[in-house]
Amino acid sequence: MIESPKIGIFEIFSRDELYRIHTATLELLERTGVRVEEEKALELLNSIGADVNFSTKIVKIPKHIVEDAIKYSARTVQFAGRNKKFDLKLEGKRVNFGLGEGAINILDYETGSIRPSTKSDIINATKLADALSNIDFVMPLFTAQDVPKQVMPLHDLHASLKNTEKPIMVVDFGLDATYLINMAASVVGGRDKLKDRPILGMYSEPISPLTHGREHTRNLIEFAKAELPIVYIPSPASCSTAPATMAGAIVQSNAETLSGNVIAQFSKKGARFIYGADTTNMDQRTGVFSYGAPEWMIVNLAMAQLGRHYELPIWSTGGCSDSKVLDGQATLEASLSLFVAASSGANLIHDVGSFLNFGLTGSLELITICDEIISMISYILKGVEVTDESLALDVIDKVGPGGQFITQEHTLKFFKKEHWMPKLLDRQTRSTWEKTGSKDLATRAHERTKEILSKHQPTPLSKDIENDLDNELRKAEKKILQK
Amino acid sequence: MNVIIIRKTIPFYKIHILLIHMSETAHEIKEALLTLDREKLIQTIKTSLDKGENPQELLSAITAALREVGDKFESGEFFLVELVSAGEAAKTVISEYLKPLLKKIGSEGEHLGVIAIGTVAGDIHDIGKSIVASMLFTAGFEILDLGVDVSAEKFIETVTNGNVDVVAMSALLSTTLPMQRETIEALKKNDLRDKVKVIVGGSPVTEEWAKEIGADGFADNASEAVKLVKKILDISEQ
Repeated sequence: MIESPKIGIFEIFSRDELYRIHTATLELLERTGVRVEEEKALELLNSIGADVNFSTKIVKIPKHIVEDAIKYSARTVQFAGRNKKFDLKLEGKRVNFGLGEGAINILDYETGSIRPSTKSDIINATKLADALSNIDFVMPLFTAQDVPKQVMPLHDLHASLKNTEKPIMVVDFGLDATYLINMAASVVGGRDKLKDRPILGMYSEPISPLTHGREHTRNLIEFAKAELPIVYIPSPASCSTAPATMAGAIVQSNAETLSGNVIAQFSKKGARFIYGADTTNMDQRTGVFSYGAPEWMIVNLAMAQLGRHYELPIWSTGGCSDSKVLDGQATLEASLSLFVAASSGANLIHDVGSFLNFGLTGSLELITICDEIISMISYILKGVEVTDESLALDVIDKVGPGGQFITQEHTLKFFKKEHWMPKLLDRQTRSTWEKTGSKDLATRAHERTKEILSKHQPTPLSKDIENDLDNELRKAEKKILQK
Repeated sequence: MNVIIIRKTIPFYKIHILLIHMSETAHEIKEALLTLDREKLIQTIKTSLDKGENPQELLSAITAALREVGDKFESGEFFLVELVSAGEAAKTVISEYLKPLLKKIGSEGEHLGVIAIGTVAGDIHDIGKSIVASMLFTAGFEILDLGVDVSAEKFIETVTNGNVDVVAMSALLSTTLPMQRETIEALKKNDLRDKVKVIVGGSPVTEEWAKEIGADGFADNASEAVKLVKKILDISEQ
């Protein structure tokens, strides 16, 4: 968590450019509009004065409606942990980091192979995230491939709720979100209490270009009404589901998320909407949706600047890669994306540890490495404190030309506070490094991950609550699988 | 073989002129496709048809040119948007200008097989499916693109009514993946499973899933999908 970065807030647009992006977005929504597949949302939009064509499902939204929705949005979104000490306040330039989501494979470090992920992998990733101090919120990094597909998101959440006290964000995958809300409610003592202690947020997506799918829109409304944090952002790939020009892709992304906000705010004023876009490019040789692309990074900067302009909490992405193994490419792309996202001042930065193309494969070791990267970034973005004491004129005068600082009181007082200490990065001399086994970063990350998983026990749910949660899961499973 | 048959009906000098024409036309078609000049392609086809050139041979020229586009993509010279755009231009001229004429003379035109492709019911993600369709088309297959949110019934209807060789199903959401299984089950119920090959794709689809639901194959990208279809239909790579 970075309370408020002092430096490095990159703003890529001039005031004029920002204004043009905004007005182009409003023009797009008024002229082209969006397609809305959910009947209830069409009626809602019609009732507030949007131009709705019920047969084509195209909705053209006048700009005053879009701007009103922005005004209604929650300026600050509380995202609670099961334990209050992990509560997050999403506002301003408070930067928080969380896991990625939805990987279907795990990179098994010990065998070096990639295999389908299971519910127990979600448990391990969640435990690890619970233990690591630079991870602020948790998403089920993996999906449980060992349960029926229809109920998979329920098991993803079930594993998360049991193994962390940190705030949890889940992907709806088109499943009726009521089930997810009921499960989280069972942990905090009911739906009303969940509003005060929103330990669950939902990540859902419009389908680019410019389409609000039926299930996703229904879930957007459901979460807005339940007053829970909602990340509702598009994932277009420039050149295929968005224009090739980055400005055009940004305008379209902006229109997609802001039209989602219209549906959310007019369903429930003050809905806890989190703004952003997971916009990247389609790789022109392979067609993949690239996770390590600099295009995505620059969109993160653009969306953060726009989000701040709208005074909406901001979603962003970092810590992921297109690489297949835990190599230089993985750490390079993870580092750069995390640094760019953090220096955009975004409030929730996800995707730590989900790598391989399309985020299909997750790695526990990469989470541990990202924890170190985030720690380093946090140090940099805090900047340099300038006070009489930190300017150190007295101690410099005392030491004078040719002396040393190592034995000075001033040094003893400040070295810990002023300096960053690596936990994972190696600074041993070559001979010591060789004597301790010549271990590379991946090996050290694996050892640390294993150690944490063997030692860390997340605070468990009480027996009664655990029973309630298990019952809620069984009930939901029965209903869905009977259909 | 063909030449001998033609010789019986057309004087030799005319064949000669026709062959020169065809190679010129084939050259123009190739140039239009390789420079992604859609207008030029349409004009070339129109002019050639006006001159009385054989639609079957024009189709062969397009297929040959597309193969070259595919090779250029494989070698890294062409990018995906160029590949798709060449494929789309070819598809337009074939369906608008050549197919109607070929039908009149009772020819379907040459193709490697018929693929019925769609995104499964409940899922409206289009782009992955469309790229695969485009690459299969470029490789020489006939495509029946059923679009998105395609029900099992629609797949059944298509297989029942056409000479479909392969059913290709896409799904992006893990919650819509089970529709791939349901469609395969529906094919079985209607005694159609043995008549077609079934392939599945989409971001959450894995080899294990494909096996579990009894599909004939899975590919995790469009180029692999083409290779897969050729493999399961026993078509040798040229």
